[in-house]
Amino acid sequence: MIQRLLPFLTLIALFVALSIASPHFLTNTNLSSVVRQTAVINIMALGMTLIIIAGGIDLSVGAILAFGGLMGTMAMERGYPIPAGIFIGAFAGMLWGVVNGFLATRLNINPFIVTLGTMGIARGLTLIVSNGLPVHQIPQRFSFLGEGNLLGVPFVLWIVMACALAVHVILEHTRLGRYAYAIGSNPDAAYYAGIPVTFHTTAVYAIGGLLTGLAGMVEASRLMTGQPTAGQGYELQAIAAVVIGGGSLRGGEGSVIGTLIGAFIMGLLSNGSDLLGISPYLQQAIIGAVIILVVWVDELRRRKMSR
Amino acid sequence: MLLALRNIQKRFGGVVALRRGDLEVQAGEVHLLLGENGAGKSTLMKVVAGMIGRDGGEMLWQGRPADFRSPKEAAANGIAMVHQESLLAPHLTVAENIFLGREERLPMGWVRRRRMAEQAARLIAEHGFPLDAGWRVERLSPAGKQLVEICRAIQHGSSLLIFDEPTSSLSESESQAVFRIVGALRERKMGVIYITHRLQELRSVGDRVTILRDGETVHTGPLAGLGTDRIIQHMVGREVTAIYRREPLTPGAELMRVRGLSRRPLVKDISFTLRAGEIVGLAGLVGAGRTELCDTLFGIHPPDGGTVEVEGRAIRVKSPREAVAAGIALIPEDRQKNGLAKALPVGYNMTMASLDSLSRFGFLRHGAERQRAGEFIARLRIRVDSPRQLAGRLSGGNQQKVVISKWLARGARVFLFDEPTRGIDVGAKVEVFEVMDQLARSGAAILMVSSELPELLQVADRILVMRHGRITADIPGRTTQEEIMRHAALDDGNLKGEVIQE
Repeated sequence: MIQRLLPFLTLIALFVALSIASPHFLTNTNLSSVVRQTAVINIMALGMTLIIIAGGIDLSVGAILAFGGLMGTMAMERGYPIPAGIFIGAFAGMLWGVVNGFLATRLNINPFIVTLGTMGIARGLTLIVSNGLPVHQIPQRFSFLGEGNLLGVPFVLWIVMACALAVHVILEHTRLGRYAYAIGSNPDAAYYAGIPVTFHTTAVYAIGGLLTGLAGMVEASRLMTGQPTAGQGYELQAIAAVVIGGGSLRGGEGSVIGTLIGAFIMGLLSNGSDLLGISPYLQQAIIGAVIILVVWVDELRRRKMSR
Repeated sequence: MLLALRNIQKRFGGVVALRRGDLEVQAGEVHLLLGENGAGKSTLMKVVAGMIGRDGGEMLWQGRPADFRSPKEAAANGIAMVHQESLLAPHLTVAENIFLGREERLPMGWVRRRRMAEQAARLIAEHGFPLDAGWRVERLSPAGKQLVEICRAIQHGSSLLIFDEPTSSLSESESQAVFRIVGALRERKMGVIYITHRLQELRSVGDRVTILRDGETVHTGPLAGLGTDRIIQHMVGREVTAIYRREPLTPGAELMRVRGLSRRPLVKDISFTLRAGEIVGLAGLVGAGRTELCDTLFGIHPPDGGTVEVEGRAIRVKSPREAVAAGIALIPEDRQKNGLAKALPVGYNMTMASLDSLSRFGFLRHGAERQRAGEFIARLRIRVDSPRQLAGRLSGGNQQKVVISKWLARGARVFLFDEPTRGIDVGAKVEVFEVMDQLARSGAAILMVSSELPELLQVADRILVMRHGRITADIPGRTTQEEIMRHAALDDGNLKGEVIQE
């Protein structure tokens, strides 16, 4: 039980520690900037939660984010309305998810390798299509997505909450979610039970891609550019958020609330490092170390459970 | 006295695995260690073999207090264990596995491969095993792997050998070979501790017996004069009849008709029918193709040829999905691997195959789902605290019932039970038989694979015998083990074919 509460307690401890350590932490501007900074990782991590629960992994999300963001902003540059641009960005992300799912299930390639490959392909295509140059001609009002406020709260927080609710409903109240748990927990047993494993695994990757594409549009809105090099290293942060929140890389375990907490822990770590003047280079190393630490703790818990 | 254990205690977290483990083994005796699953047999043996530490109690090895901190230390002192599950390196050869971890080395870490291969070949020949030192272990069947484990243990020149259910995956002839080896070890004045679940094999190997129940030694003494009923009573702690008698039914309509079914290399031209209310046993040696037949019928390996009809309709099964849709259910041999999601709640496992009928537009109907899970927990008398309990935490018998409920919830009509009682306690076996009987009475047809002939004789209305992928006999009604074995036995000199699995 204490293990389950650990992420939550860590988040609170981190929050309290930062409040004491820096006078700039507990301010409206800083907190809403934490929310905005975390939102992109948060949305990606929600998709990653589904994928990891279903026993998969997606290393290509950083590249998909850039691809989606580029497609959406290019559409707007060519005069498509803002909602159409957002839709196109998210849809482009979903297509990559379908590709990942197809390769992992139909061709039966390890998802780690599949998404390592599509990571390269998606990034390469993004650079080719954009010629390596960012897209700047974006309607001014598009910035509302990443920087606007609604009812006194950053608009992205509403988006995160809506995505969280959607993923929670999928996991707990739909057949797809139940199958994701079953496939992740024991793919053989799922197959023997007659579950259409290929279809549902692909669907899970597709939803992950869709959310990543949406995150790409949020990122583009925050930067007000379609950046072909956006999202590098984000896959690490998204996976870390899920794992910190109790998701197991062996599949079958994970939750929306855990992932949200995990993403906010990541957000606070990075915000705190900024406030305390810790080098951003060191931050990367810290994230890597945190992932290893969390998986190790999870491994210890498992060993204890199974004697 | 070779080994004496007094008052050994061991707990894992909050779970007490051993309360009071007592055991004494002499040189030159075969000592049987009995008990239900979870009674603490394996834990006690792991303490002896240095795989886990103990929390309390005393261990004397050859008269001196001992405390082995690793399997290596125990092995150096002459204690070796033959494991129940294969702990071999699949990509290495038989010889390399026999010497794994104690390779003969020259300076600079140079390994003397040829010498080890020769020694392994000599060891294999000496005991007459159907093995070749050069084979890669991944090609071996479970039985073949078990033989390698045994070679590994005896190669080391140990004075105490621990067998943890050595014959659970072996065919009858191979089990006989194991008993011969155990007998030979006794002749050489070695001590043997032998853990087993199969009561009928006790008599041929054991001298004395120690029985554990709930982590305590409840009986120890000579085997002669101790009746099987008494043994079971000690194991279970109450009176249980090991003999299950089933009232046969008059079979109803034909539910399944199989004609000329083939799947290379182990299913050849199989034809049979199953009727409603019928339990048909499927006997045969390990490697005869029984499991492969079930897998083919269930679509795990699609057939190369032949036809299958269910309730008069021809079906083409290319994956379990189609088999499930046609009303076929498989209770797989390896329950943990193929039947259960151990980390998920019992309730999820029960409804896993029937969510189509428990959801509307892709959304789950939680109420209906809970109700169905509750219904089966009551009907099959599954011992759980709640449907939310994780399936991995249940005993083998209860896990098996969860797997069965998965198919009941789906409304399957044809049930393929592959070794349904493997790894299940004596008391729970009878309950599994009762569930099968209930199924038959409610109009299902059952095909039951079992390597335990007495079980088949108790439960089945009719017995099919397979040999080398073909059905060699269809024996109705009461028969004998000898009759079955006559049809199942392999032609002499063909034992090598038995050990290799393609």
